[in-house]
Amino acid sequence: MTPALAVLELRDGVLRKISHEVVTGSQRLGRGVDAVLCASGAVQGADQIGKFGADKVITLTNPAFAKYAPEECAQAIAERAKQGGYRAVIFAASATGKDLAPRVAARLGVGVAADITDLAVEGDAITVTRPVYAGKALLKVKVASQPAVLSLRPNVFTPVERPKAGAPELAAVTVAPGRVVVREVKAAPAGTLDVAEAQIIISGGRGLKEPANFKVLEELAKAFGGKAAVGASRAVVDAGWRAHADQVGQTGKTVSPSLYIAVGISGAIQHLAGMRTSKVIVAINKDKDAPIFKVADYGVVGDLFEIVPRLTEEIRKLHG
Amino acid sequence: MAKNDQFVPARYQPPLPLDKLIVQDGAAGAGDRMELDVVIVGAGPAGLACAIELAKLAKADRTALNIGVLEKAEALGEHSLSGAVVNPRALRELFPELGDSDFPFRAPVTKEAVYLLTKGVKIRLPTPPTMHNRGYYVASLCEIVRWLGTKAEELGVNIFTGFPAAQLLVRDRAVAGVRTAAAGLDRDGRPSAGAMAPNDIVARVTALAEGTRGLLAQAWCQWQRVPSENPQIFALGVKELWETKRPLDRVIHTLGWPLPTDAFGGSFVYPLEPNLVALGLVVGLDYRDAGLDVHVLLQQFKRHPLLAALLEGGEVVEWGAKTIPEGGFYSLPQRRAGDGVVLLGDTAGFVDVPSLKGIHYAIQSGIYAARAIHQNLKNAESLSRYDDILNKSYVATELYRTRNMRLAFRDGFYWGGIQAALMTITGGRFPNGKYRMHRDAEVGRRFSPDVRARSAERSDGISKVDAVFKSGNSTRDTIPSHLIVGPDVPGDVARFYARMCPAGVYEVGENGFRVNAPNCVDCKATDVLGPRWTPREGGSGPKYKRM
Amino acid sequence: MKIAVCIKRVPDSETRVKIAAHGKALDESGVKFVMNPYDEFAVEEALRRKEKAGTGAGEVTVICLGPAAAQETIRTALAMGADRGVLLQADKIPADPFEVARMIAAELKSTSWDLILFGRMAIDDYNHQVGALTAELLGLPCVTAISHLEIEGTQGLAEREIEGGIEVVEFPLPAVLTADKGLNEPRYPALKGIMAAKKKPLEVRPVQASAGAFEVVALSPPPERKEGKIVGEGVGAVGELVRLLREEAKVL
Repeated sequence: MTPALAVLELRDGVLRKISHEVVTGSQRLGRGVDAVLCASGAVQGADQIGKFGADKVITLTNPAFAKYAPEECAQAIAERAKQGGYRAVIFAASATGKDLAPRVAARLGVGVAADITDLAVEGDAITVTRPVYAGKALLKVKVASQPAVLSLRPNVFTPVERPKAGAPELAAVTVAPGRVVVREVKAAPAGTLDVAEAQIIISGGRGLKEPANFKVLEELAKAFGGKAAVGASRAVVDAGWRAHADQVGQTGKTVSPSLYIAVGISGAIQHLAGMRTSKVIVAINKDKDAPIFKVADYGVVGDLFEIVPRLTEEIRKLHG
Repeated sequence: MAKNDQFVPARYQPPLPLDKLIVQDGAAGAGDRMELDVVIVGAGPAGLACAIELAKLAKADRTALNIGVLEKAEALGEHSLSGAVVNPRALRELFPELGDSDFPFRAPVTKEAVYLLTKGVKIRLPTPPTMHNRGYYVASLCEIVRWLGTKAEELGVNIFTGFPAAQLLVRDRAVAGVRTAAAGLDRDGRPSAGAMAPNDIVARVTALAEGTRGLLAQAWCQWQRVPSENPQIFALGVKELWETKRPLDRVIHTLGWPLPTDAFGGSFVYPLEPNLVALGLVVGLDYRDAGLDVHVLLQQFKRHPLLAALLEGGEVVEWGAKTIPEGGFYSLPQRRAGDGVVLLGDTAGFVDVPSLKGIHYAIQSGIYAARAIHQNLKNAESLSRYDDILNKSYVATELYRTRNMRLAFRDGFYWGGIQAALMTITGGRFPNGKYRMHRDAEVGRRFSPDVRARSAERSDGISKVDAVFKSGNSTRDTIPSHLIVGPDVPGDVARFYARMCPAGVYEVGENGFRVNAPNCVDCKATDVLGPRWTPREGGSGPKYKRM
Repeated sequence: MKIAVCIKRVPDSETRVKIAAHGKALDESGVKFVMNPYDEFAVEEALRRKEKAGTGAGEVTVICLGPAAAQETIRTALAMGADRGVLLQADKIPADPFEVARMIAAELKSTSWDLILFGRMAIDDYNHQVGALTAELLGLPCVTAISHLEIEGTQGLAEREIEGGIEVVEFPLPAVLTADKGLNEPRYPALKGIMAAKKKPLEVRPVQASAGAFEVVALSPPPERKEGKIVGEGVGAVGELVRLLREEAKVL
């Protein structure tokens, strides 16, 4: 039984946590899992990936891999996948994974079963589940490609420790120089995240008492590392505390973050129309009878000035 | 103004901004200029029927006519809303080559019932003769419009969606075309990066088919001082489309509860499919209680035993609202044709209230207008031919027969009901003469001291904001306000506006009176009773699918 | 400058999803179809590059794989200013994106393009790969999800968003690029553009789509939203909240 090949991801020379999810997810195929990554040299701590169930950890080395080199990396991984006769090649559906997976798949003559939230094996066939229509439906697909190339939606395959050997293998590879060259990675300019598009929205209402206190929400947003935007309830925008651009939709526009945190908003939810389609709603308010708790999936009653900083701490720990 | 004093909405309503609505052709301000033979404002049943008939006539005598239809919605049907039970007569005339089964109807009406409701009780009434619907079809106006649109495009008609006509272009006393609204303006009215300037569309004939309370039609009538015996009056209909767990096999109309006895109106419940039910409440805008809220009444109505079982476990899939011109025969403009212009459909007021029918009149008026336009373009015959055809047609005869029926109800439901019955029995001969009617805005209102009525604010059913969401409205928040508010809006008037608007555009809160213009679903109730409505950038407003 | 833009006809993002009786696809009755919003950025970018190239020096071809009704989608692009359209007509779009890429690549192969643009992903299937797969099949360099583009002769520079940063990428032309939001502000089709679109060439070519290696088993609604709960009171509840968000809700 040929194993699965889990493709790991590096950032600034360190293995990203999402790699744990990929290895964990690859276990579902019920065969062995080999992990592979492209790096310019040995990566500190790469062997730790054995903890999550990798039999082997293969580091393909080439100076070009000092940063993300799309074509070189794709070539190296595709060749290794072919060499090893792997049953499946599995990526994280991260920004890089979404770029790399199709390149590798095309070289293997197949498409990617992308952004999946579940996978199962029936006999020799692999069946995957993926959200479609902006999460309004789930599609179940039988993937017959050989090998199967899959990408896993982040934050779904919670890493589980099931230690295996994690035997390290270092292999220098030669690759043709790529035409697409990453010159640099710049920091995202602050505050450009549009409330309408953010994956995470932290909205503040009158409960914040004064405009300066929005700092508390901005700290929380920062802890999410660029994925979160700070929104404002209409009451607060009317009062001139926040810019109109921060106002979460009032006319029924669909604002669809995966996480919506309403802080100090009592239940003028009717002014925050469309946040109903948020995947998860969290409410923080000192009034336990506030109507917002009826709409929230999770609520915490109490003083937001104590709760939010603590939440910020916890999120920082997670994302660290 | 002391609390509970009567106030007259007209006092706080700005006048029609005529100087902004009528523009000399050639005036600066437009980007592109396009010339057509005929421009039709509004791709509803009247506008599209006119386009289709005109295209057919041109084809038959091999003239090449450049016909354009302007529609403010982003796609056909998105601003169309009606019950509806449709009389197929006009469609048969428009498409003599087709049979009823080819038309975009949902189901023929087989069973029907009329009820008088009180709270908790329903009393079956014999169906009034004006309301028989056998031989008619339950339909979605959105679907009819999309179907007509396909037919029109097959005939070479150009349909431009996303282009609201905002101003009339004129040359001396003649209408020369229209100027469309600008797009991409920010909150303060300044053009943003992707902005689009207004366009001038110049044509030999302009057909105004703007639907209820058409802005340009109002402007033209006022400008050319076209009178009508009575002012036009309106009702507001709020409608929901439900997917139900239980089936419905009949068309239902109700009178009575939850309307107060001094308001005119009723409800309809129509199955498009056994488990797809359109229901709505229609209330005349001359209601006396300033706190009356049609949307809230609809939410109450749904809890009546007549409906509660049907709706249990079901889901609202769409919500919408629209006004209906109710003045009938005496409220029609005395001329519906002028130099370079004709008025079609609801915009002219061709609606028969007692039978709740307007769609086939709209289509019929489009057909007649097309014939007159064709002769005008071909032989320079006067467009007044359109009026001649109309005046001799069944449209006029039928509207005349029921000319006083709605008006009788201004004296209240019971007395009105008796008068209406007498009118029916005498075939319209009672009473002779006509009832005088006030403009809706001239009817005095006051807030009822009834605490129960006021607490109806905290209603069951769906909130206005959720309702607007269900209308498909996704107008951008940063759009400039399209509503012209009077300079003085005292507290009671503001509260009246808040109840009047089904979409929650007007709010009275801690910070005073607030206008949430993007919520607007273009029902036009505001134009009748409060702040004046003007068109916004194309594609704004609701996106009805099967209303 | 010869530019190709590949577009897709998709259900409007506000569509209420109803599943067809056979349980494998969307019930399309009453569904409004539009051009994939990400493709609008691609079309707009193509038009801007054509305009930059100067009058008569650029040509934009729009290619779409879809059913006959997709002609309307192509007309929208023509109304915006594209010069010609090609509809690869197939009633069913294969579930296997590699098959889709194969058909599009076959169409593109016969011309030597300076630039080929796609939207980064389609809002119905979220596959996020057809552009990149097509590039590989054509042997062309590819940069995905670009939100900024500069072209100097045959050298290109693009920016793309990654977690916590912006990648700056250089590449040579000809190339395949997939467009992300922020690349530009798509123009409204002008009235004249809508009229002119009717006269622009739109070739309809029926194609045989093979099933590929993916088979749809079922399309189903997402799991019901569970009742909300108050996790706890005060600072002490935060730990539990975070745990639930991570493990139960899976949003962290």
